Amino acid sequence: MKNVHIAGGALHVVGRHYDKNIDDMAAVVLDRALAEAGVDIDALYVASSTTELANKQQLLGVYILESLGLDKLPTFRVENGDNSGAAAIAAAYYAIKSGEHHCVAVVGVDKPHDLLSNQQQDVYSTVLDAYFEKYFGFTPLSYAAMMAKAYMKRYEYRYEDLAMWPILMHDHGVSNPNAYFRKRAKLEDVMNSELVSEPLRLYDVGPLVDGAAAVVLCSRGGGPRILSIATASNTTPFGLRTDYVQLYSTMNAAEVAYKKAGITPRDVATAEVHDSFSIFGVLALEGLGLVERGATLRLLKNGDFPVNYSGGFKARGNVMGATGVYQLLEVTWQLEGRGFKRVDGNYGVIHSMGGVDRISTVIVVGV
Amino acid sequence: MKHESVPIYWRNVPQYYRLVGKRCKKCSKLYYPPVVRCRCGSREFEDVALPHEGKLVEYTVLYQVGTDFLKQKPLIVGLVEVADGVRIPSQIVDVQPEKVTLGMRVEAVFRRVSTDGRHGLVMYGCKFRPVDL
Repeated sequence: MKNVHIAGGALHVVGRHYDKNIDDMAAVVLDRALAEAGVDIDALYVASSTTELANKQQLLGVYILESLGLDKLPTFRVENGDNSGAAAIAAAYYAIKSGEHHCVAVVGVDKPHDLLSNQQQDVYSTVLDAYFEKYFGFTPLSYAAMMAKAYMKRYEYRYEDLAMWPILMHDHGVSNPNAYFRKRAKLEDVMNSELVSEPLRLYDVGPLVDGAAAVVLCSRGGGPRILSIATASNTTPFGLRTDYVQLYSTMNAAEVAYKKAGITPRDVATAEVHDSFSIFGVLALEGLGLVERGATLRLLKNGDFPVNYSGGFKARGNVMGATGVYQLLEVTWQLEGRGFKRVDGNYGVIHSMGGVDRISTVIVVGV
Repeated sequence: MKHESVPIYWRNVPQYYRLVGKRCKKCSKLYYPPVVRCRCGSREFEDVALPHEGKLVEYTVLYQVGTDFLKQKPLIVGLVEVADGVRIPSQIVDVQPEKVTLGMRVEAVFRRVSTDGRHGLVMYGCKFRPVDL
Protein backbone atom coordinates (compact mmCIF):
# COMPACT_ATOMS: atom_id res chain seq x y z
CA MET A 1 0.00 0.00 0.00
CA LYS A 2 1.10 3.53 -0.73
CA ASN A 3 2.23 5.91 1.98
CA VAL A 4 0.40 9.22 2.27
CA HIS A 5 2.64 12.21 2.99
CA ILE A 6 1.63 15.74 3.83
CA ALA A 7 3.51 17.61 1.11
CA GLY A 8 2.27 21.12 1.78
CA GLY A 9 -0.39 23.14 3.46
CA ALA A 10 -1.68 26.62 4.08
CA LEU A 11 -4.43 28.19 6.09
CA HIS A 12 -6.31 31.44 6.04
CA VAL A 13 -6.47 33.43 9.25
CA VAL A 14 -10.01 32.92 10.54
CA GLY A 15 -12.39 35.81 11.09
CA ARG A 16 -15.24 37.67 9.47
CA HIS A 17 -14.15 38.04 5.89
CA TYR A 18 -16.93 40.18 4.49
CA ASP A 19 -14.74 41.25 1.58
CA LYS A 20 -14.08 37.82 0.06
CA ASN A 21 -16.18 35.37 -1.94
CA ILE A 22 -16.01 31.75 -0.79
CA ASP A 23 -14.34 30.40 -3.95
CA ASP A 24 -11.61 33.05 -3.94
CA MET A 25 -10.86 32.54 -0.26
CA ALA A 26 -10.39 28.81 -0.88
CA ALA A 27 -8.31 29.52 -3.99
CA VAL A 28 -5.87 31.70 -2.05
CA VAL A 29 -4.95 28.94 0.42
CA LEU A 30 -4.96 26.23 -2.22
CA ASP A 31 -2.53 28.30 -4.29
CA ARG A 32 -0.17 28.61 -1.32
CA ALA A 33 -0.41 24.91 -0.43
CA LEU A 34 0.34 23.90 -4.03
CA ALA A 35 3.32 26.27 -4.17
CA GLU A 36 4.74 24.77 -0.98
CA ALA A 37 4.26 21.20 -2.19
CA GLY A 38 5.68 22.04 -5.62
CA VAL A 39 3.76 19.25 -7.35
CA ASP A 40 0.95 18.84 -9.84
CA ILE A 41 -2.21 17.39 -8.38
CA ASP A 42 -4.43 14.68 -9.86
CA ALA A 43 -7.63 15.79 -8.13
CA LEU A 44 -9.11 18.37 -5.78
CA TYR A 45 -11.40 17.46 -2.88
CA VAL A 46 -13.45 20.32 -1.47
CA ALA A 47 -14.85 20.19 2.06
CA SER A 48 -17.64 22.59 2.89
CA SER A 49 -20.47 22.18 5.31
CA THR A 50 -22.84 24.94 4.30
CA THR A 51 -21.87 26.47 0.97
CA GLU A 52 -25.36 26.07 -0.56
CA LEU A 53 -27.15 27.43 2.47
CA ALA A 54 -24.80 30.22 3.51
CA ASN A 55 -23.12 31.24 0.26
CA LYS A 56 -25.64 30.10 -2.36
CA GLN A 57 -23.02 28.23 -4.37
CA GLN A 58 -22.77 24.62 -5.48
CA LEU A 59 -20.05 23.05 -7.60
CA LEU A 60 -17.56 24.95 -5.51
CA GLY A 61 -14.51 22.97 -6.70
CA VAL A 62 -14.89 24.18 -10.27
CA TYR A 63 -15.03 27.83 -9.22
CA ILE A 64 -12.01 27.43 -6.96
CA LEU A 65 -10.03 25.91 -9.83
CA GLU A 66 -11.29 28.64 -12.18
CA SER A 67 -9.90 31.23 -9.80
CA LEU A 68 -6.47 29.58 -10.10
CA GLY A 69 -6.65 28.99 -13.85
CA LEU A 70 -6.42 25.22 -13.40
CA ASP A 71 -8.33 23.31 -16.07
CA LYS A 72 -9.46 19.71 -16.64
CA LEU A 73 -8.82 18.50 -13.09
CA PRO A 74 -11.42 16.28 -11.43
CA THR A 75 -12.92 17.82 -8.31
CA PHE A 76 -15.28 16.44 -5.71
CA ARG A 77 -17.20 18.09 -2.92
CA VAL A 78 -17.57 16.34 0.44
CA GLU A 79 -20.27 17.36 2.90
CA ASN A 80 -20.50 15.69 6.30
CA GLY A 81 -21.66 18.62 8.39
CA ASP A 82 -18.89 19.88 10.65
CA ASN A 83 -17.02 16.61 9.95
CA SER A 84 -16.65 17.58 6.26
CA GLY A 85 -12.97 18.55 6.47
CA ALA A 86 -11.77 15.25 7.90
CA ALA A 87 -14.14 13.36 5.61
CA ALA A 88 -12.61 15.04 2.53
CA ILE A 89 -9.12 14.22 3.82
CA ALA A 90 -10.28 10.61 4.19
CA ALA A 91 -11.55 10.54 0.59
CA ALA A 92 -8.25 11.98 -0.67
CA TYR A 93 -6.28 9.52 1.45
CA TYR A 94 -8.20 6.58 -0.03
CA ALA A 95 -7.61 7.88 -3.56
CA ILE A 96 -3.85 7.82 -2.94
CA LYS A 97 -3.89 4.52 -1.05
CA SER A 98 -5.69 2.90 -3.96
CA GLY A 99 -2.89 3.94 -6.31
CA GLU A 100 -5.32 5.76 -8.57
CA HIS A 101 -3.86 9.18 -7.69
CA HIS A 102 -0.34 10.24 -6.68
CA CYS A 103 -0.98 13.75 -5.42
CA VAL A 104 -4.30 15.14 -4.28
CA ALA A 105 -5.27 18.46 -2.73
CA VAL A 106 -7.95 19.00 -0.12
CA VAL A 107 -9.35 22.43 0.53
CA GLY A 108 -11.83 23.11 3.31
CA VAL A 109 -13.80 26.33 3.33
CA ASP A 110 -16.86 27.80 5.03
CA LYS A 111 -18.14 31.36 5.36
CA PRO A 112 -20.94 31.50 7.94
CA HIS A 113 -20.62 35.29 8.16
CA ASP A 114 -22.36 35.69 4.84
CA LEU A 115 -25.40 35.23 7.12
CA LEU A 116 -26.74 36.93 10.25
CA SER A 117 -26.17 35.12 13.53
CA ASN A 118 -29.74 33.79 13.87
CA GLN A 119 -29.60 32.50 10.31
CA GLN A 120 -26.32 30.81 11.25
CA GLN A 121 -28.25 28.92 13.95
CA ASP A 122 -30.70 27.71 11.28
CA VAL A 123 -27.89 26.52 9.04
CA TYR A 124 -25.78 24.98 11.81
CA SER A 125 -28.84 23.08 13.07
CA THR A 126 -29.29 21.27 9.77
CA VAL A 127 -26.91 18.59 11.08
CA LEU A 128 -29.76 17.53 13.37
CA ASP A 129 -32.74 15.55 12.11
CA ALA A 130 -34.57 18.24 10.12
CA TYR A 131 -38.02 16.72 10.63
CA PHE A 132 -38.05 15.65 14.26
CA GLU A 133 -35.38 17.70 16.02
CA LYS A 134 -34.68 20.97 14.21
CA TYR A 135 -38.41 21.33 13.43
CA PHE A 136 -39.15 21.74 17.14
CA GLY A 137 -36.38 24.26 17.75
CA PHE A 138 -33.56 21.99 18.86
CA THR A 139 -30.03 23.05 18.00
CA PRO A 140 -26.71 21.24 18.52
CA LEU A 141 -26.15 23.61 21.45
CA SER A 142 -29.29 22.39 23.23
CA TYR A 143 -28.14 18.76 22.98
CA ALA A 144 -24.66 19.71 24.17
CA ALA A 145 -26.25 21.41 27.18
CA MET A 146 -28.19 18.28 28.10
CA MET A 147 -25.05 16.15 27.74
CA ALA A 148 -23.14 18.62 29.92
CA LYS A 149 -25.82 18.30 32.59
CA ALA A 150 -25.70 14.52 32.40
CA TYR A 151 -21.89 14.52 32.61
CA MET A 152 -21.75 16.88 35.58
CA LYS A 153 -24.38 14.82 37.38
CA ARG A 154 -22.73 11.47 36.66
CA TYR A 155 -19.24 12.52 37.72
CA GLU A 156 -20.19 15.09 40.37
CA TYR A 157 -18.80 18.24 38.82
CA ARG A 158 -19.95 21.82 39.17
CA TYR A 159 -20.12 24.32 36.33
CA GLU A 160 -16.88 25.91 37.60
CA ASP A 161 -15.14 22.65 36.71
CA LEU A 162 -16.44 22.69 33.14
CA ALA A 163 -15.24 26.30 32.86
CA MET A 164 -11.67 24.93 32.96
CA TRP A 165 -12.08 23.89 29.31
CA PRO A 166 -12.64 27.36 27.77
CA ILE A 167 -9.94 28.80 30.06
CA LEU A 168 -7.42 26.25 28.75
CA MET A 169 -8.51 26.88 25.16
CA HIS A 170 -8.02 30.62 25.54
CA ASP A 171 -4.57 30.00 27.07
CA HIS A 172 -3.63 27.95 24.01
CA GLY A 173 -5.15 30.39 21.53
CA VAL A 174 -2.78 33.14 22.69
CA SER A 175 0.18 31.53 20.94
CA ASN A 176 -1.64 30.61 17.72
CA PRO A 177 -1.28 33.48 15.22
CA ASN A 178 -4.25 32.13 13.25
CA ALA A 179 -6.67 32.02 16.19
CA TYR A 180 -9.83 34.12 16.36
CA PHE A 181 -9.36 34.93 20.07
CA ARG A 182 -5.81 35.55 21.23
CA LYS A 183 -6.44 36.58 24.79
CA ARG A 184 -6.61 34.72 28.08
CA ALA A 185 -9.89 34.17 29.87
CA LYS A 186 -10.34 34.16 33.62
CA LEU A 187 -12.81 32.09 35.60
CA GLU A 188 -15.01 35.14 36.23
CA ASP A 189 -15.12 35.92 32.48
CA VAL A 190 -16.57 32.47 31.88
CA MET A 191 -18.88 32.51 34.89
CA ASN A 192 -20.26 35.96 34.09
CA SER A 193 -20.79 35.33 30.39
CA GLU A 194 -24.28 35.09 28.96
CA LEU A 195 -26.29 31.91 29.53
CA VAL A 196 -26.98 30.41 26.09
CA SER A 197 -28.46 27.01 26.96
CA GLU A 198 -28.24 26.32 30.65
CA PRO A 199 -25.86 25.26 32.09
CA LEU A 200 -23.74 26.31 29.09
CA ARG A 201 -22.60 29.91 28.71
CA LEU A 202 -21.21 31.89 25.81
CA TYR A 203 -17.67 30.74 26.67
CA ASP A 204 -18.72 27.10 26.17
CA VAL A 205 -19.51 27.76 22.50
CA GLY A 206 -16.94 27.89 19.74
CA PRO A 207 -17.70 30.96 17.62
CA LEU A 208 -18.57 30.28 13.97
CA VAL A 209 -15.93 31.93 11.82
CA ASP A 210 -15.02 32.25 8.14
CA GLY A 211 -11.91 30.38 7.10
CA ALA A 212 -10.19 28.19 4.54
CA ALA A 213 -7.37 25.67 4.75
CA ALA A 214 -5.66 23.54 2.12
CA VAL A 215 -3.39 20.53 2.28
CA VAL A 216 -1.61 18.60 -0.46
CA LEU A 217 -1.21 14.85 0.05
CA CYS A 218 1.27 12.80 -2.00
CA SER A 219 2.38 9.19 -2.20
CA ARG A 220 5.96 10.33 -2.89
CA GLY A 221 8.42 12.46 -0.95
CA GLY A 222 9.23 12.47 2.74
CA GLY A 223 7.95 14.40 5.67
CA PRO A 224 5.03 13.86 7.98
CA ARG A 225 2.63 11.06 7.11
CA ILE A 226 -0.99 10.23 7.68
CA LEU A 227 -0.68 6.81 9.30
CA SER A 228 -4.35 5.97 9.48
CA ILE A 229 -7.84 7.36 9.13
CA ALA A 230 -11.04 5.86 10.49
CA THR A 231 -14.59 7.15 10.43
CA ALA A 232 -17.55 5.77 12.34
CA SER A 233 -21.17 6.85 12.34
CA ASN A 234 -23.59 6.61 15.23
CA THR A 235 -27.11 6.14 13.91
CA THR A 236 -28.96 6.07 17.23
CA PRO A 237 -31.22 9.13 17.50
CA PHE A 238 -30.57 11.43 20.46
CA GLY A 239 -33.78 10.27 22.18
CA LEU A 240 -32.84 6.59 22.01
CA ARG A 241 -29.23 6.78 23.23
CA THR A 242 -28.38 4.53 26.13
CA ASP A 243 -25.79 6.95 27.49
CA TYR A 244 -25.41 10.73 27.23
CA VAL A 245 -21.88 11.01 28.62
CA GLN A 246 -19.86 9.35 25.88
CA LEU A 247 -19.27 9.84 22.16
CA TYR A 248 -19.91 6.47 20.53
CA SER A 249 -18.78 7.54 17.06
CA THR A 250 -15.51 8.86 18.49
CA MET A 251 -14.73 5.72 20.47
CA ASN A 252 -15.44 3.48 17.52
CA ALA A 253 -13.39 5.56 15.07
CA ALA A 254 -10.50 5.92 17.53
CA GLU A 255 -10.25 2.19 18.17
CA VAL A 256 -9.86 1.45 14.46
CA ALA A 257 -7.52 4.39 13.81
CA TYR A 258 -5.11 3.40 16.60
CA LYS A 259 -5.12 -0.21 15.51
CA LYS A 260 -4.41 0.63 11.87
CA ALA A 261 -1.61 3.02 12.87
CA GLY A 262 -0.18 0.48 15.31
CA ILE A 263 -0.16 2.91 18.23
CA THR A 264 -1.97 3.28 21.55
CA PRO A 265 -3.40 6.42 23.17
CA ARG A 266 -0.22 6.59 25.28
CA ASP A 267 1.83 7.33 22.13
CA VAL A 268 -0.19 10.45 21.32
CA ALA A 269 1.85 13.62 21.89
CA THR A 270 -0.78 16.12 20.75
CA ALA A 271 -4.43 16.10 19.77
CA GLU A 272 -6.82 18.52 18.10
CA VAL A 273 -10.36 17.61 19.12
CA HIS A 274 -13.81 18.78 18.09
CA ASP A 275 -14.89 21.04 20.96
CA SER A 276 -17.67 22.95 19.21
CA PHE A 277 -19.11 23.07 22.73
CA SER A 278 -16.82 22.64 25.73
CA ILE A 279 -18.48 19.42 26.87
CA PHE A 280 -17.66 17.80 23.51
CA GLY A 281 -13.96 18.54 24.04
CA VAL A 282 -14.14 16.77 27.39
CA LEU A 283 -16.03 13.79 25.93
CA ALA A 284 -13.69 13.66 22.92
CA LEU A 285 -10.60 13.29 25.12
CA GLU A 286 -12.30 10.42 26.90
CA GLY A 287 -13.58 8.90 23.66
CA LEU A 288 -10.06 8.99 22.24
CA GLY A 289 -8.84 7.13 25.32
CA LEU A 290 -6.49 9.99 26.24
CA VAL A 291 -8.17 10.43 29.61
CA GLU A 292 -10.11 7.98 31.73
CA ARG A 293 -13.89 8.46 31.56
CA GLY A 294 -15.12 11.11 33.98
CA ALA A 295 -11.62 12.27 34.90
CA THR A 296 -11.00 15.10 32.38
CA LEU A 297 -12.15 18.06 34.43
CA ARG A 298 -10.26 16.89 37.54
CA LEU A 299 -7.17 16.54 35.35
CA LEU A 300 -7.50 20.03 33.83
CA LYS A 301 -7.49 21.54 37.30
CA ASN A 302 -3.97 20.21 37.73
CA GLY A 303 -2.65 22.21 34.80
CA ASP A 304 -1.96 22.04 31.08
CA PHE A 305 -2.85 19.12 28.83
CA PRO A 306 -1.60 18.55 25.26
CA VAL A 307 -4.94 19.10 23.57
CA ASN A 308 -5.96 21.84 21.12
CA TYR A 309 -2.77 23.89 21.12
CA SER A 310 -4.54 25.80 18.35
CA GLY A 311 -7.05 27.05 20.91
CA GLY A 312 -9.69 24.63 19.63
CA PHE A 313 -13.12 25.69 18.46
CA LYS A 314 -13.32 28.11 21.36
CA ALA A 315 -10.26 30.23 20.57
CA ARG A 316 -9.20 29.30 17.03
CA GLY A 317 -12.87 29.26 16.06
CA ASN A 318 -15.37 26.85 14.54
CA VAL A 319 -14.63 26.90 10.82
CA MET A 320 -17.38 24.32 10.24
CA GLY A 321 -16.52 22.10 7.26
CA ALA A 322 -13.01 23.53 6.99
CA THR A 323 -12.07 22.68 10.57
CA GLY A 324 -10.78 19.18 9.86
CA VAL A 325 -8.23 20.57 7.40
CA TYR A 326 -7.13 23.21 9.93
CA GLN A 327 -6.73 20.48 12.54
CA LEU A 328 -4.60 18.29 10.27
CA LEU A 329 -2.20 21.15 9.60
CA GLU A 330 -2.16 22.24 13.24
CA VAL A 331 -1.27 18.76 14.51
CA THR A 332 1.36 18.30 11.80
CA TRP A 333 2.92 21.68 12.56
CA GLN A 334 2.91 20.97 16.30
CA LEU A 335 4.84 17.75 15.65
CA GLU A 336 7.28 19.69 13.45
CA GLY A 337 7.51 22.77 15.66
CA ARG A 338 6.34 25.03 12.86
CA GLY A 339 4.41 28.07 14.11
CA PHE A 340 3.78 26.15 17.34
CA LYS A 341 6.08 25.01 20.12
CA ARG A 342 7.34 21.58 19.07
CA VAL A 343 5.62 18.81 21.03
CA ASP A 344 7.63 16.01 22.54
CA GLY A 345 6.69 12.95 20.51
CA ASN A 346 6.12 11.52 17.07
CA TYR A 347 2.38 10.98 16.89
CA GLY A 348 -0.58 13.32 16.83
CA VAL A 349 -4.29 12.75 16.50
CA ILE A 350 -7.13 14.77 15.06
CA HIS A 351 -10.76 14.22 15.97
CA SER A 352 -13.51 15.68 13.80
CA MET A 353 -17.19 15.17 14.58
CA GLY A 354 -20.35 15.77 12.57
CA GLY A 355 -23.57 16.67 14.38
CA VAL A 356 -24.00 15.62 17.98
CA ASP A 357 -22.02 12.36 18.01
CA ARG A 358 -23.51 11.29 14.66
CA ILE A 359 -20.17 10.73 12.91
CA SER A 360 -16.51 11.04 13.86
CA THR A 361 -13.26 10.78 11.95
CA VAL A 362 -10.00 10.11 13.75
CA ILE A 363 -6.71 10.68 11.91
CA VAL A 364 -3.29 9.61 13.18
CA VAL A 365 -0.34 11.68 11.96
CA GLY A 366 3.29 10.64 12.41
CA VAL A 367 6.65 12.34 11.88
CA MET B 1 -36.75 29.77 7.65
CA LYS B 2 -39.00 31.13 4.96
CA HIS B 3 -40.73 29.18 2.19
CA GLU B 4 -41.18 25.87 3.95
CA SER B 5 -42.03 22.80 1.89
CA VAL B 6 -45.68 21.70 1.97
CA PRO B 7 -44.98 18.01 1.12
CA ILE B 8 -42.37 17.70 3.88
CA TYR B 9 -44.84 19.06 6.41
CA TRP B 10 -47.78 16.96 5.24
CA ARG B 11 -45.99 13.64 5.15
CA ASN B 12 -44.81 14.09 8.73
CA VAL B 13 -48.23 15.01 10.11
CA PRO B 14 -48.83 11.57 11.76
CA GLN B 15 -45.71 12.14 13.89
CA TYR B 16 -46.27 15.85 14.46
CA TYR B 17 -49.96 15.53 15.41
CA ARG B 18 -50.27 12.07 16.95
CA LEU B 19 -46.73 10.88 17.85
CA VAL B 20 -47.01 7.84 15.59
CA GLY B 21 -44.01 5.55 15.91
CA LYS B 22 -43.24 2.18 14.35
CA ARG B 23 -43.24 -1.13 16.18
CA CYS B 24 -41.42 -4.09 14.65
CA LYS B 25 -43.89 -6.95 14.13
CA LYS B 26 -41.16 -9.52 14.73
CA CYS B 27 -39.23 -8.30 17.79
CA SER B 28 -41.56 -5.56 19.09
CA LYS B 29 -38.83 -2.93 19.16
CA LEU B 30 -40.33 0.55 19.08
CA TYR B 31 -38.93 3.31 16.86
CA TYR B 32 -39.54 7.03 17.04
CA PRO B 33 -38.80 8.59 14.60
CA PRO B 34 -39.87 5.83 12.15
CA VAL B 35 -37.34 3.65 10.29
CA VAL B 36 -37.74 1.28 7.33
CA ARG B 37 -35.74 -1.69 8.61
CA CYS B 38 -35.54 -3.00 12.17
CA ARG B 39 -32.19 -3.86 13.68
CA CYS B 40 -33.47 -7.45 13.88
CA GLY B 41 -33.67 -7.41 10.06
CA SER B 42 -37.43 -7.26 9.73
CA ARG B 43 -39.11 -4.75 7.43
CA GLU B 44 -42.60 -5.28 8.81
CA PHE B 45 -43.89 -2.64 11.16
CA GLU B 46 -47.16 -1.52 12.61
CA ASP B 47 -48.01 2.08 13.40
CA VAL B 48 -48.26 2.76 17.09
CA ALA B 49 -49.34 6.02 18.65
CA LEU B 50 -46.94 6.63 21.52
CA PRO B 51 -48.38 7.31 24.98
CA HIS B 52 -49.28 10.96 25.40
CA GLU B 53 -48.01 11.06 28.93
CA GLY B 54 -44.44 10.66 30.06
CA LYS B 55 -41.62 11.75 32.28
CA LEU B 56 -39.17 14.60 31.67
CA VAL B 57 -35.75 12.96 31.90
CA GLU B 58 -33.48 15.86 30.80
CA TYR B 59 -33.97 19.43 29.63
CA THR B 60 -32.30 22.76 29.02
CA VAL B 61 -33.47 26.34 28.73
CA LEU B 62 -32.29 27.48 25.32
CA TYR B 63 -31.68 31.20 24.73
CA GLN B 64 -29.85 31.01 21.36
CA VAL B 65 -32.49 29.97 18.82
CA GLY B 66 -33.06 29.79 15.08
CA THR B 67 -35.10 32.38 13.16
CA ASP B 68 -38.39 30.46 13.56
CA PHE B 69 -38.26 30.75 17.33
CA LEU B 70 -37.06 34.28 18.01
CA LYS B 71 -40.43 35.38 19.40
CA GLN B 72 -40.67 32.30 21.65
CA LYS B 73 -37.31 32.41 23.36
CA PRO B 74 -36.18 31.17 25.70
CA LEU B 75 -37.33 27.69 24.71
CA ILE B 76 -37.49 24.91 27.24
CA VAL B 77 -36.49 21.81 25.31
CA GLY B 78 -36.05 18.35 26.73
CA LEU B 79 -36.39 14.62 26.44
CA VAL B 80 -39.71 13.07 27.41
CA GLU B 81 -39.64 9.36 28.15
CA VAL B 82 -42.97 7.93 27.01
CA ALA B 83 -42.03 4.24 26.88
CA ASP B 84 -39.12 2.12 28.01
CA GLY B 85 -36.05 3.62 26.31
CA VAL B 86 -38.09 5.86 23.98
CA ARG B 87 -37.50 9.54 24.62
CA ILE B 88 -39.06 12.21 22.45
CA PRO B 89 -37.16 15.47 21.94
CA SER B 90 -39.84 18.06 22.66
CA GLN B 91 -40.56 21.57 23.78
CA ILE B 92 -41.88 21.89 27.32
CA VAL B 93 -44.60 24.55 27.54
CA ASP B 94 -47.06 26.21 29.93
CA VAL B 95 -44.44 26.43 32.65
CA GLN B 96 -41.82 28.92 33.79
CA PRO B 97 -38.24 27.63 33.45
CA GLU B 98 -37.63 27.78 37.22
CA LYS B 99 -40.64 25.52 37.88
CA VAL B 100 -39.33 22.71 35.67
CA THR B 101 -38.00 19.69 37.55
CA LEU B 102 -36.37 16.49 36.40
CA GLY B 103 -38.64 13.48 36.51
CA MET B 104 -41.81 15.55 36.41
CA ARG B 105 -44.88 14.09 34.72
CA VAL B 106 -45.76 15.76 31.42
CA GLU B 107 -48.53 15.33 28.84
CA ALA B 108 -48.69 15.99 25.12
CA VAL B 109 -50.54 19.07 23.89
CA PHE B 110 -51.21 20.17 20.32
CA ARG B 111 -49.56 23.50 19.59
CA ARG B 112 -48.36 25.80 16.86
CA VAL B 113 -44.63 25.22 16.24
CA SER B 114 -43.75 27.92 13.72
CA THR B 115 -45.25 30.15 11.05
CA ASP B 116 -43.79 30.53 7.58
CA GLY B 117 -44.16 34.25 7.11
CA ARG B 118 -47.48 35.96 6.43
CA HIS B 119 -48.65 33.82 3.54
CA GLY B 120 -46.97 30.47 4.15
CA LEU B 121 -47.80 27.44 6.27
CA VAL B 122 -48.70 27.53 9.92
CA MET B 123 -47.00 24.44 11.28
CA TYR B 124 -48.22 22.45 14.27
CA GLY B 125 -47.02 19.62 16.45
CA CYS B 126 -47.05 18.00 19.86
CA LYS B 127 -45.33 19.70 22.74
CA PHE B 128 -45.45 18.60 26.37
CA ARG B 129 -46.68 20.42 29.48
CA PRO B 130 -46.53 19.51 33.17
CA VAL B 131 -49.46 17.43 34.42
CA ASP B 132 -49.34 18.46 38.06
CA LEU B 133 -48.68 22.19 37.99
